[in-house]
Amino acid sequence: MNRTGKWLLQIFVGVVLCCSTALGYGQSAARLQLANLDKLSDKAARVTDVTLDGTLLELAVKIIELDKDPEADQLKDIIRSLKGIYVKSFEFDDASQYSQADVEAVRAQLTSPRWSKIVQSIDKRNHEHDEVYILKDGGRVGGIVVLVAEAKELTVVNIVGDVPLEKVMALEEHFVPERSHGGKHKPNKERSHDDE
Amino acid sequence: MHFSEDDLRQALKRKDPGSGFTQRVMARMEQAKTEDAAAMKGKPAPSAKKSNGFFAWWQLRPAWIVAVTAVLLLGFGWAGYQYAEYRHQKQAAITAAIHEKELQEAERARDQAILALQIARSKLNHVLQQTQLPADGNDKIRRQRL
Repeated sequence: MNRTGKWLLQIFVGVVLCCSTALGYGQSAARLQLANLDKLSDKAARVTDVTLDGTLLELAVKIIELDKDPEADQLKDIIRSLKGIYVKSFEFDDASQYSQADVEAVRAQLTSPRWSKIVQSIDKRNHEHDEVYILKDGGRVGGIVVLVAEAKELTVVNIVGDVPLEKVMALEEHFVPERSHGGKHKPNKERSHDDE
Repeated sequence: MHFSEDDLRQALKRKDPGSGFTQRVMARMEQAKTEDAAAMKGKPAPSAKKSNGFFAWWQLRPAWIVAVTAVLLLGFGWAGYQYAEYRHQKQAAITAAIHEKELQEAERARDQAILALQIARSKLNHVLQQTQLPADGNDKIRRQRL
């Protein structure tokens, strides 16, 4: 191999390494570290903890493919484009069960310029602070974070991947699974913002 | 005891066997033959005696070898078949268990994914309602406020 060939090979290897590093960084940047919220489990009346990485999502797609329901295709398309879904939701019986530091620990991870806060809602009367962030990955959405901090509830939804928001928003209500399957729940009346 | 040369010479000198020596020798030979024949008649045949012995089966050893070989072959064949069947059933059970486990894991993953997406949808709707934005995902990002 002549000198030019070696030079081109070195450039090629460098580009491949840079691309793989950037890809890995993109995925790791889109996923938040939410382990600091685990301590709230003891105080919460209801805890929903969902951790689904790429492998589990692939499994989920496989089982959804077995479903003959045409509306399952919609769900399959959403999950197929995702690389991870991480949800931590805590519902408390009393107010002020979590600290501002708990929320700030999550917000601190969203200060990177790649994250953009697209929606923010502050309701001081009800002690509610809701935010939606998206991670820009070129021209696409690389991830999304929904942070809902209410007086008696703290929810962080972190979806990694090219999130098809319009499809997520259009998800049918009947897709809600049996509550016994999702996360660890303490007995409490189910409450959803959709019901409000 | 000491023998002199004369004694030895005397002892080893030729003697006349007497008349009828040849007849006597022949008569003794005939008598010996007759005694042997009589002895053989009175005793059972050697082969018959052997057949009643403990090792009589050894006389039929080619047949026994064939029979024992056949039994061994059948035994090994049957044992091999049983072992193969056992392995096959065990493998099938393991495969079924793995499949069942994977299926359960996949169902759990599907349910969790649906739950997570429902929570995401619910919270997004809630935030959009709070900000008085229409909860229409198609142009939600375009109309971002911040």
